[in-house]
Amino acid sequence: MQKFTKNELAQYNGKDGAPAFIAYEGKVYDVSHSFLWQDGRHQVLHTAGVDLTASLDQAPHGADLLERCPVIGMLDED
Amino acid sequence: MAKVTREMVERAGVDVDQLLELLVKNAAAELTTYYYYTILRVNLIGLEGEGIKEIAEAARIEDRNHFEALVPRIYELGGKLPEDMKEFHDMSACPPASLPKDPTDIKAMLTVLVEAERCAVRGYTQICNMTAGKDHRTYDLSLAILNEEIQHESWFSEFLGEGPSGHFLRRGETSPFVRKFLE
Repeated sequence: MQKFTKNELAQYNGKDGAPAFIAYEGKVYDVSHSFLWQDGRHQVLHTAGVDLTASLDQAPHGADLLERCPVIGMLDED
Repeated sequence: MAKVTREMVERAGVDVDQLLELLVKNAAAELTTYYYYTILRVNLIGLEGEGIKEIAEAARIEDRNHFEALVPRIYELGGKLPEDMKEFHDMSACPPASLPKDPTDIKAMLTVLVEAERCAVRGYTQICNMTAGKDHRTYDLSLAILNEEIQHESWFSEFLGEGPSGHFLRRGETSPFVRKFLE
């Protein structure tokens, strides 16, 4: 499975036709096809291309909704 | 725009532009859901479908009421609705509640309905969290809508076999919580 550094992940921000990837607990999810991630933005407050592990604790939903999107890699914490 | 109203909310620490975008996106979700629920409702037919039609209709009318109730608050805070209806549809805070491929599949119909309500519950919970103790009027409005969305979710959830809703169907008029904002 592909590994992403944080800098590499940042390129997949969903803007200008780029795919939208987000990280959660070490996994990288492709949210490009989610209606709720159009143009790499989610509910005004969040953008793609970043690790949202901490943000999900504050979200009005759990990680189960992320499971609807494919895991396409792992986040390289180094 | 209500200038002092906006100023009070800003001074309480709320990012009003961010809040307005959320309110407009949720207003879009309400109006589009009203539209999609119209299609779902007319397809709720037969022995199984007829049993769900009444609650689908109550949820449909109440979602339209939520749109009506949100609009004044958007303009009070200095926001506006997009002029382009297509743009408004596409910016919805929730995915389209589209008719399942097989409209006779009642479980698929209920899944569409309950997913739409769950998206709304999450959305208004987020707005309540943002505005609690800071923007009293938006909080009051969002809480009223949230109360009704929770009831809608529980109605459809019950039909999906997820357990009792704890609620009876609406008696009398629709929108018992939101009605005060529809004056």
